[in-house]
Amino acid sequence: MTAETFEYAIKKDVRNNPIVREVDRERHRDMWRSALVGGFLVVVLLFSAWQHFELLRHGYRLEQMQRERAAEEEINRHLRLEIETLRSPSRIERLATGRLRMVAPQPDEAEVIERVIPVPAPPRSVVARR
Amino acid sequence: MAESSARDWRPTLQRRTAVALSVLFVWVVGIEVRLVYLQVVRYSDLAARAERQQSRTIEAPAKRGDIIDRQGRVLAYSVDAETIYAVPGEVENPDRTAAAVCGALEDCDAKDREAIAKSITARKGKYFAYVRRQVWPDQAKRVAALQLDGIGFMKESRRTYPNRDLASHLLGYVGIDNVGLSGLEATYDSFIRGRAGTVLVQTDAHRRAFSRVERPPTSGAAIELTIDEYLQHVAERELREGVQYSGASGGSAVIMDPYTGEILALANAPDFNPNAYRDAREDARRNRAIQDLYEPGSTFKIVTAGAAFEENVVSPNTIIDASTGNIRFGARVIYDDHNYGVLTFEDAIVKSSNVGAIKVALRLGPEKIGDYVKRFGFGRPSSPDFRGENPGIVWDATKLTDSALASVAMGYQVGVTPLQMAAAVSAVANGGELVQPRAVRAVIRDRKRVAVPRKVLDRAITPRTAATLTEIMEAVVERGTGTRAQVPGYTVAGKTGTAKKLVNGSYRGHSDYNVSFVGFVPSRKPVFAIVVVVDSPHRVSPYGGVVAAPIFQRIASAALRQQGVPQTIGGSPLVVERRNDVDAQQTSGPVSSPVVTMGSAGSSVFPDLTGMSARDALRVMAKMGLAVRLLGAGVVSEQTPAAGTPIDAAVTAVLKLERRTPEAGAPSARFPARWGGEADEERLARP
Repeated sequence: MTAETFEYAIKKDVRNNPIVREVDRERHRDMWRSALVGGFLVVVLLFSAWQHFELLRHGYRLEQMQRERAAEEEINRHLRLEIETLRSPSRIERLATGRLRMVAPQPDEAEVIERVIPVPAPPRSVVARR
Repeated sequence: MAESSARDWRPTLQRRTAVALSVLFVWVVGIEVRLVYLQVVRYSDLAARAERQQSRTIEAPAKRGDIIDRQGRVLAYSVDAETIYAVPGEVENPDRTAAAVCGALEDCDAKDREAIAKSITARKGKYFAYVRRQVWPDQAKRVAALQLDGIGFMKESRRTYPNRDLASHLLGYVGIDNVGLSGLEATYDSFIRGRAGTVLVQTDAHRRAFSRVERPPTSGAAIELTIDEYLQHVAERELREGVQYSGASGGSAVIMDPYTGEILALANAPDFNPNAYRDAREDARRNRAIQDLYEPGSTFKIVTAGAAFEENVVSPNTIIDASTGNIRFGARVIYDDHNYGVLTFEDAIVKSSNVGAIKVALRLGPEKIGDYVKRFGFGRPSSPDFRGENPGIVWDATKLTDSALASVAMGYQVGVTPLQMAAAVSAVANGGELVQPRAVRAVIRDRKRVAVPRKVLDRAITPRTAATLTEIMEAVVERGTGTRAQVPGYTVAGKTGTAKKLVNGSYRGHSDYNVSFVGFVPSRKPVFAIVVVVDSPHRVSPYGGVVAAPIFQRIASAALRQQGVPQTIGGSPLVVERRNDVDAQQTSGPVSSPVVTMGSAGSSVFPDLTGMSARDALRVMAKMGLAVRLLGAGVVSEQTPAAGTPIDAAVTAVLKLERRTPEAGAPSARFPARWGGEADEERLARP
């Protein structure tokens, strides 16, 4: 190491402790305003996202419920079909005459005491839901 | 030196920053260009592609409307069914897949298995092949449980007939694509079919639906038939038994309300199950009652006699000489079954004398006979409800020779359908009006019921002639050829018919006959007009009075009992007659019963009716001449006014009826001892 290349680094003792940054109230207000606006935007964004995902969730739920309703309705239709099949007169007669050994009444064993005279409905009428 | 080197980094940084900014600029520009390209240039294309991926439009098939009988009981019904399909490219081994599917379906034979494998193999390069259409949910579940690659499911509507072969010819059937192919399903297809809807479903990346927009399907209209399910069952049962017993090849029976033209039952034998119509023979699927022509034979003498009375050519007491037993037209000789000698025209019809009918027809002439044949509705389709109805064959009256006229007079050389015959006999029953037969009572769409009105086509004969014919037809059943049609307790009017079939253009060389019976009951206030036609009976004597009349008798007995028609001969008078009006039909709970007919007065206080059956209570009250209103069913549990209250003729007694649980050890009311009652009661209780 030569004298020419040797380099002294003399650190100047800087004493800046007494220096205090002046509080810029204007900037503070700006910062808070910006933070509030930013926070508000974030909340709006989050709310919007929440709404969107809620909508999706309810969409899935609605879809699921509609599928379940359709399935229940279809089960209902199948059960009605089963009822109608079980009510078939030929089946009932087969059970009555075969398993229960019932017989049709003879003319002298049946007496008509009440006759229902069907009265036709008006040509245009509203039918009750079955 | 050090100062200069310390300053060198600035231009380097500037250069590098410029390069980086340039790269960033190019990147941003590139992205922007790409965005513009995608969102402006290719917007429509990509938007459409996204739409395709994110949303699906599914067709919502419309269910066919129900077909119900006149009491609202379901005869044809649609339910959802699963259709199994394959994506052939994803099926590795079609044979193994077909075997697995077949095993799960459980109603699949080797032929079906082969067909499934063949269908998948043949469409190897395609995306879709049907495996089995419209299977039941439990079958689909079993197939789904196998988790086979390349096998999928989709919903379709399936038409079902819960009563199987009941009214099969009348209802018809629908094809695999839910289009009516036969019967009322075909005639009223445009009403019943409805209109398919669409469902727009939006899906996520996993193809899960989260939103839908629906245009719901419009269900088809429900059709209310004039048929009564029970009467139809009775007609089919008795016809089937009659056809089997007589060894016939088939038959038809039609029950009609003679006043309204409503067809209460239309039966054919053999019949078929419309749920599996493809398995039925063509012969069994034919609706003989509207498609088959037959020569009616002596039943057609009703037309001859009606024309003769209308034109005042004869009266019932006019003497006809049939002593020769035959009548000759050139080389052709027409015989009677027996030599009836000289007889009145009434007896000629009662004994079914061909010679007598022919002699009267010759006096009438062909034009007048032809006119009445048309007036009775022959030679034209009788009802718009039946597609493919045979209009029948009626010869031009002006071209009828005496020999041909003789044939027509005794029911030959005319082709009629059983339905036309039912309409004709209904005209006699209702006092002379030819009422259009109809099978549809109303069309119900969106809960609005539009009734099909009664339609009078023609006046065939006057009421006076109808009454005369009724008397003669009563005599046919009382002492003529139709005695086996007698229904105990009721007056019956009818006519037998026996006609040799025309086979290969000849009446000779075979023993095939069409035998028939037409009539109505009770004859003086008809409720049912019934026609029975049996084709080629071989096991018994082939006569209408032997084969068809007993079938008529059994159908009429059961129908009269079921409809509660009071006896017209020797029966106790009807105690209650109720108008089954619309309000009563639509009210749930006990239906209030109507007022009882007045009888003679007796005691001065109301009797104690508690514990009596409705019938016994009504008898007591009717004898006392008191009005009664019934509530509920069973035995009398309460009465108002109470027993012992002085009678006030203006007061209508109200009897509350309740079902009573039989006490232990008490005789079973439902199973009298002569039917082995108690043993049967035990059997009933067993699961």
